[in-house]
Amino acid sequence: MPREIFQDKDNLNQRYHRKRALYLSHIAQHLSKEKLFGSVKFAYMNSNHLKPILLLRPQGKDEKMVTVRLHACPDPGLFKPSRFYPSKNNVRTAWFMEQGTPKEGATEPPTPHYNNSILCDTVMLSHLHLLSNAATDFPGMKDGLALLKVWLNQRQLSKGLGCFSGFLVSMLVAYLLMKRKIVKMMSGYQVLRSTLQFLATTDLSVTGISLAKDADPSLPVLDDFHQAFEVVFVDPSGLVNLCADMTASKYHQVQFEAKRSMEILDDRMVDGFQVLLMTPKPMLRTFDHVFHLKHVSKLQGTCKKMQLLNELMDRGGNYVAAALPFIVSLLARGLSQRAQLVAHSLPQISEWPIDAEPPKHKDIGPLTFGLLFVPEFAASMLEKGPQADHPEALEFRTFWGEKSELRRFQDGSICEAVVWEASTVCQKRLIPEQIIRHLLKLHADIPESSICYRGALLESVIRTGKEAWGTGEEAMVSVVCSYDDLSRKLWSLKELPLTVTAVQGVHPALRYTDVFPPIPVKPIYSFHNRRKHLLLPSEEKPCPAYITPLKIICHMEGSGQWPQDKGAIKRIKAAFHLQLAELLRQQHQLVCRPAVTHTDVYKDGYVFRLQVAYHREPLILKEVVTPEGMLKYQDTEESRQLELETLHLPYLTSSLHGLQQQHPVFGSTSRLAKRWISAQLLSDSISEECVDLLVAFLFLHPAPFTPPSSPQVGFLRFLTLLATFDWKNNPLIVNLNTGLTDSDCAEIKNKFAAARSRLPVMFLATPKDQWSSMWTRDRPSAQILQRLVLLASESRRALEEQLMDPLSDQDVKMVFRPPLDFYDVLIHLNPNQVPRHLESVDRPVKSASRGVVKNSSAMNILFPVVDYDPVQLYLQELRVTFDDLALFFYDKHGGEVIAVLWKPLSFQPQPFKVSSMKGRKVTTLNNELVCVPNVEAILEDFEILGEGLVKSVEARTEKWTI
Amino acid sequence: MAAATGRAAGAAPAGYTALAVKFAERQRSPHCLLVKEHQVRDGTDTAHPPRRTLFVLNVPPYCGPDSLSRLFSCCGHVQYVDICDKPGPGQKKKDKSASKFFDHKTQKGFQVAYVVFRKPAAIQAAKTLSQQGPLLISTESHPVKTGISKWIASYEASIVDPKELKAEVDAYMQDYDKKVAEEEAKAAKEEGVPDEEGWVKVTRKGRKPGLPRTEAANLRVLEKEKQKRARKELLNFYAWQHRETKREHIAQLRKKFEEDKQRIALMRAQRKFRPY
Repeated sequence: MPREIFQDKDNLNQRYHRKRALYLSHIAQHLSKEKLFGSVKFAYMNSNHLKPILLLRPQGKDEKMVTVRLHACPDPGLFKPSRFYPSKNNVRTAWFMEQGTPKEGATEPPTPHYNNSILCDTVMLSHLHLLSNAATDFPGMKDGLALLKVWLNQRQLSKGLGCFSGFLVSMLVAYLLMKRKIVKMMSGYQVLRSTLQFLATTDLSVTGISLAKDADPSLPVLDDFHQAFEVVFVDPSGLVNLCADMTASKYHQVQFEAKRSMEILDDRMVDGFQVLLMTPKPMLRTFDHVFHLKHVSKLQGTCKKMQLLNELMDRGGNYVAAALPFIVSLLARGLSQRAQLVAHSLPQISEWPIDAEPPKHKDIGPLTFGLLFVPEFAASMLEKGPQADHPEALEFRTFWGEKSELRRFQDGSICEAVVWEASTVCQKRLIPEQIIRHLLKLHADIPESSICYRGALLESVIRTGKEAWGTGEEAMVSVVCSYDDLSRKLWSLKELPLTVTAVQGVHPALRYTDVFPPIPVKPIYSFHNRRKHLLLPSEEKPCPAYITPLKIICHMEGSGQWPQDKGAIKRIKAAFHLQLAELLRQQHQLVCRPAVTHTDVYKDGYVFRLQVAYHREPLILKEVVTPEGMLKYQDTEESRQLELETLHLPYLTSSLHGLQQQHPVFGSTSRLAKRWISAQLLSDSISEECVDLLVAFLFLHPAPFTPPSSPQVGFLRFLTLLATFDWKNNPLIVNLNTGLTDSDCAEIKNKFAAARSRLPVMFLATPKDQWSSMWTRDRPSAQILQRLVLLASESRRALEEQLMDPLSDQDVKMVFRPPLDFYDVLIHLNPNQVPRHLESVDRPVKSASRGVVKNSSAMNILFPVVDYDPVQLYLQELRVTFDDLALFFYDKHGGEVIAVLWKPLSFQPQPFKVSSMKGRKVTTLNNELVCVPNVEAILEDFEILGEGLVKSVEARTEKWTI
Repeated sequence: MAAATGRAAGAAPAGYTALAVKFAERQRSPHCLLVKEHQVRDGTDTAHPPRRTLFVLNVPPYCGPDSLSRLFSCCGHVQYVDICDKPGPGQKKKDKSASKFFDHKTQKGFQVAYVVFRKPAAIQAAKTLSQQGPLLISTESHPVKTGISKWIASYEASIVDPKELKAEVDAYMQDYDKKVAEEEAKAAKEEGVPDEEGWVKVTRKGRKPGLPRTEAANLRVLEKEKQKRARKELLNFYAWQHRETKREHIAQLRKKFEEDKQRIALMRAQRKFRPY
């Protein structure tokens, strides 16, 4: 800008800024008439409303490609630098408050941010020279900066007010070059590494750095800057703080990311490039809980409440920028123990056309905050303060307000303390929400209605029970307790011919991943048909509640007495089941019901299904004698199934049980994931173990994130994994118990690539199962996987939109409601005969009584009806009967609809063959006899087979008419 | 659907007769059974005697042997009905020792059946059934259970009586023990005794146990042989050996190079570099 347009004292009271804006708009008006430009727009530089810039884009198809950003800056020597030292004032209070005369004797507060914004313009050119000097003869710098900018961009750190911009990181590299931490020989990767290393180890909010070479004694020192700004990085002139607008919290986030990235770069198990530079880290997927400030205009009240007039003046009236650092530090203090990171989104203002009104402060939209928890402390119910007689006690009391109360502790001390109310794990996870709402209300005058907390919205779909507001963690624990007790009893059984060597649970509830954990119940006799000592479901009444048998494998000691013949082993096992039942009844008074393949035990209101296993049985099943009389071992379907059940599943269960102990939200995440899959009617198309392993992957290999500490973020990452993982070209390696080394992983990858066509479409490798991917061998099929990927990416998109938009009031359960328009036939079921009706996503208002009462201490009862689910029996029958004609989909958690999809291939007319007549009829087509499915009769068969269960069969397409 | 009922059960491939069959009166669209006289070469299929066996295709899942025998009893006395998954020679009537608790095979879905009449004349009578209206599987006098009532019944059936089970297991194990003891006694008797050609059978037991006849043992022996041979052999002794190894080495390098090239091509194909 020419020197002539400025006058004396233009440094004061935003005169400079106004002139600058006027100058720019003049240029804009001039340029807008030019045909050369496609568009001429205004924008704020880094969303700082005191600094408009002009965006010029050429005409034609290059419009999207190139943008010229026009900055206006004054002559370097226009102002005297000493006027803008951080401790100086350049905005008079009287002017700002629009009062006529200044008050006498009042000292004017310093305006460091205001000063900095003017100084910035004066030194722009010299910064440019500095950077171009640094970049000469240094090819690595360009590459390194490109990487660093991508890195920042993926973490959403490079845009908005107070961002860690590309310019800033370039200056940082120049600084490191000056300090000889980087030399000009380095490659781009080394530049990236050194910069991240520096960021990870240096806290600029405590020890600032300066690019100024020779210390001029007249210039302000770093301490002056620290007093005025939260983050300090002084430019070569020694006057400008490059990080003036950055909050300490934002810098800590950068630092945290850098630390995490260094760990990832040093970890040889992960592909650092993919994870660090190619994976976006939006707030929703990064932070455990996220909350929005719906209306930023409420921050005006905050400024008033916190008495931030000086800051307002300093920031030119931008109340968001003025209040944000204070709010973040307030939250950081309140959550000090619980959160390792409290981050905020950067306020961003978009560009606007030159003939429109500029956006207001409130146009930045909602402000988003993210919390990253320390899992050990996040849910603690107590906030212990200093002892009552200490001077800090008063401060503690003012900070927490009336929530703080005196409490006597077990060690005899009497302390100030805050106790938060929560009775279940699910509520405890939301204690941070209580804290945030309380503190913001108390100190920042932000009403609860404008805080929109996104922490546990999804958990309602796995909520159990009507009265207690929990998500079943407690139920799971009590199941495991009961199981431990039973296994102890089994160990110590007397008079058993062979001792029990191991008791292992295999049911999902015993690894905390059952979607709806069993609850202890006792049957009501009058509800059932009674036959001697048997309770049977009654035809007239609704179906009794579904009681899951909790399967337990009971390994018996090996001995020479075991027979070596398939049939005989089966009988001996049956004999063991009988005897176990008898002994448990005699020695522990448990109600048991033996069967051929298992023994059901009713204990504490649960039903456990004991299954005896003999470790050599799979081997005996594998034995084949060749014609030459040689003994060979060959996998058979039967042996594989038995191995899976008695060997691999118990191992997986105990590994995942261990994982749950390390990561308390593993179970809930897995349950959400399973609930979603089942809600999309695909639960029978993918094995539960496979889902558990996918979720375990998120916890064991979280890079570039941290392991999830809330089910919601875990679920979002699960959807992302499902949607973005390249299943075709990569194996998913789940390193349970860190049983694989990096060379193992490389080997798995190589072998996988070589044998891809023979392996399942979804390949999971674990330490105990490196080559076969046993949990995905049969399911899912390629088509189902494709559908799953599609559903996952759509669900994620919809869900993230809903969670990020606090103003819309949509139902987040939307992604749990499957689209049904794509199926050919819908079989509607009678809800009375659906035993798990209450588990459905939209919990029915009323559901039939199910003939059980909650009771965990019943003894000596008649055995309840176990494992009787008419819908599952029906599905089984349908699948066996119409296997070659149709696919059946059902939500096993209380679905009221079975969706049917015809298989298109089997609907083509085929010539008559004796073996393929199933369900078909013969007709003449073009004078030829052909077989076509007898659809009308099959539709009626659906009703006949499900007599009493099926309400109606709705055929939605007429695809079959040939 | 109305059109479908009109041409019901009309067409049938050569040799077969189509019979319409419905579950009950209120069903509108029938399934169609295809029947023909069972024909095999003499003596190959003893379970289904020729000339008086009716071969039935496409039997619906809810139609069991009892219903079938009732449906065809109007044509003549039905001796027995055999239902199986796919056509094939039937076994002779199952041995009586078949267990009540073990080795259950449930057959479901559409099946084929062999209806054996006492007299051959019934076959012709059965074929004329097509002129009558559709056959009914479930009637008021003989209802067939499906759906809820069937599942409740099968739940009831799945609960075993411990005493009965125990008795069966004990009986089986006694038999088994006896069989094993007999075999052992027989083996002990033959131990070390040459047969008529003079061969002595070597078993696991006895004074000089032989190698077990398993694949693993075989492999072990082969491996040992190989090692022994490798120790004796001189590597690259002759010029041709030297040439051969060199050639092999180069071939392997080439192969690896080709594989690597493919892998890189694949990696390039799947690269999706979209940082922004």
